[in-house]
Amino acid sequence: MTQDLAGRAAAERELAGESELAGERELAGESELAEGQQPRPGRGRLGVVGWLRWGWRQLTSMRTALVLLFLLALASIPGSVLPQQSINPAAVTQYYAAHPALAPFLARLSGFDVFGAPWFAAIYLLLFTSLAGCVLPRTFRLARSARQPPPRAPRILGRLPQAAGFATPWRPDRTLESAAALLRRRRFRVRTGDGWVSAEKGYLHEVGNLLFHVALLGLLASVALGGLFGYKGNRLLVDGDTFANTPVGLDVFRPGRLVSAGDLQPFSITLRKFSASYITSGAQRGQPARFVASIRYNSRYGGPLTRYDLQVNHPLNVDGVQVFLIGHGYAPVFKVTDGTGVVRFDQAVPFIPVEQSGLTSAGVVKVPDASPRQLGFAGVFLPTEIDVGGRLASAFPAADYPRVSLVSYAGNLGINGGQPQSVYSLDTSRMRRLAVSPRPLAPGQSVTLPDGLGKLTFTGYRQWASLAITYDPGQFPALVSALAALAGLILSFLVRRRRIFVRAAQVGLADGAGGPVDAAVTTVEVGGLTRSDMAGGFETEFAELASEIMLEVRGAAAAAAGSGGAEASAVAAKGE
Amino acid sequence: MTRLRSAAAAVVAGPAGAVRAVLAGPVVAGPVLAGAVLASAAVLALTSCSAGTIADSTSASSGFVGGSYSSTYYRPGSRPAAPAVGGTTLTGSRFRLAADRGKVVVLNFWGSWCAPCRHEAPALAALATHFKNAPVRFVGDDVHDSPAAALAFERTYSVGYPSLSDPGEQVALAFHGTVPPVAIPTTLLIDRTGHIAGRIVGEVSYRGLRALVTKILAGQS
Repeated sequence: MTQDLAGRAAAERELAGESELAGERELAGESELAEGQQPRPGRGRLGVVGWLRWGWRQLTSMRTALVLLFLLALASIPGSVLPQQSINPAAVTQYYAAHPALAPFLARLSGFDVFGAPWFAAIYLLLFTSLAGCVLPRTFRLARSARQPPPRAPRILGRLPQAAGFATPWRPDRTLESAAALLRRRRFRVRTGDGWVSAEKGYLHEVGNLLFHVALLGLLASVALGGLFGYKGNRLLVDGDTFANTPVGLDVFRPGRLVSAGDLQPFSITLRKFSASYITSGAQRGQPARFVASIRYNSRYGGPLTRYDLQVNHPLNVDGVQVFLIGHGYAPVFKVTDGTGVVRFDQAVPFIPVEQSGLTSAGVVKVPDASPRQLGFAGVFLPTEIDVGGRLASAFPAADYPRVSLVSYAGNLGINGGQPQSVYSLDTSRMRRLAVSPRPLAPGQSVTLPDGLGKLTFTGYRQWASLAITYDPGQFPALVSALAALAGLILSFLVRRRRIFVRAAQVGLADGAGGPVDAAVTTVEVGGLTRSDMAGGFETEFAELASEIMLEVRGAAAAAAGSGGAEASAVAAKGE
Repeated sequence: MTRLRSAAAAVVAGPAGAVRAVLAGPVVAGPVLAGAVLASAAVLALTSCSAGTIADSTSASSGFVGGSYSSTYYRPGSRPAAPAVGGTTLTGSRFRLAADRGKVVVLNFWGSWCAPCRHEAPALAALATHFKNAPVRFVGDDVHDSPAAALAFERTYSVGYPSLSDPGEQVALAFHGTVPPVAIPTTLLIDRTGHIAGRIVGEVSYRGLRALVTKILAGQS
């Protein structure tokens, strides 16, 4: 892609060249000033403006863009190695605990917020500037070149890659007229001069190029639009639960730079029922057959409710926001009675699948307000429990034989100090494991904790669905831009830009004795030039055109003379 | 601003990291060098949405970490009207915000699962007692929670004021277009005329909230 861009840029410059001479001169002359080969500023010669200009050229060079791109990739590595505050704050807290000396240092370098770091922003802003600075002027150049008339014909057409010549008794001006007429009929853009005709065709190549570059800018702008005004969020919803699209209601909220809490589209979604069906036999046994999250939503507070069936790849669209069904699982319902005999906890707790074939799910239950001790439980939910040699496993993802196995703890959950923690992990460092057998519980069964600490009952289970909420105002413009870029690319590949030059000159007669005016001989030279002949075939086209020109000229001459007239010499196509 | 974001995200985003990691697999910013420009566009797309800010034009944006908080005060005249919210409390009685016109209302959004909420609970309970004889109404809004756990929380911290049961965040949603809560916990202060006079994002401090309530109560500008 980059090579192609650079190569094409060179070709464009040549075609766009103001140079009088086509062909090798043009190649040699104009493209000397390729990017990165700008003359270095001499010592003390250049003022501030000169240096700025030089700096700008360096920044917008393809090489710099590549270096920046590489830097960007490099800079995102710490983002995937170190825990990130915006993605997993609990892991950051753990990192602080594990590396008390290193963590503050890393924090100062934005190690836990890599994608929001000033140095990261610096890289991608520079990259953006570099790309825009590279593409914008090129766009203008292309636009200029697309409007330019064909250049003057070179003096010696024989040097061009394609050349042919013939002689005719027809006068040079008439010859050129009929050649120009033919080329116009062939839809060339024609320019005439003293003794020459210059014609050019294939401007669609430039249009395609232009379209491609403008579309690239459009793509960049769309991405920026999405990054500034878009947002993403996730929410896990248990059957029967409702959530509101606010920062408070989202489990994960990743807003664009210019998004504030008030910008979120104020819809609410209630999960009426999630249902999953699985293939029950054959090699595909246990594979999901169908997931449907039956929901009810409204687009504003207190608004009318609408029903919708959310399915994988069948998102809901509310006010331009897309809501995708991205996951599902089980939420066993637990009721915990503490040592004082009061129910301190009674709710469904989402467990997270740790494997897909049997949907074995792990989760924790925290009862921070139990007396006399805070209680914690960690364990697994097995939709279809089987015992594999003393090890618990789930044989099927549907809840055919649901069991829960939990390890019980009492002590300090570490939640009262104000330090946020994940609801999916249990910090047992200040807790004591209770001597309770983690035997699997069936729905309705209880486990009584020792020392009068209370009782836990597994009352049943519900299902949950997790939703991804995506708002990207740049999505549609990005699609349009991408399609336009593709169309432009195809156009510029398929259409070649080519020039045909015709020169005609009267050759001094060997003898002027008594002959008619027609006896004078005009030598006609035809030259052809193309760039970006990706599709090939210019050679053939040129040969055809050259002979057509010859026939045209001869035909016209013959028609004008009525009959007779000297025979022209044969077409000699040089062709390379 | 960065701190505000991280702390707020810390509160809100707790569960999600785990969910995402398990369900969707970790999303790693790996630019595929399919093409210089397109790849960079992809990288830009990725980076520009993975870093988040809960920015709010009205926020004073002084960060909060641990015990400190971000507090915003609105002068009389620039206070948006509070929406007409109401509902059922955890104990089953009805509550309407509009019924407390003439009082300063301290509306605290919380959840029993939320660590910073637990940490600020004693201060709120003590302030409710402190302002017992003043025209100040404390009310909670318990989001994303179950009544059993919420009531257990209230018993632990001897919370003497009622809380709306709001598992679907509908009360929070009703503040859309005014001064919405942006994290759990968030505390909104509503003046005697039913206008929002202040917002505290993150944990409140006893002194900070007391000063703010006193100021709004006095009607100073």
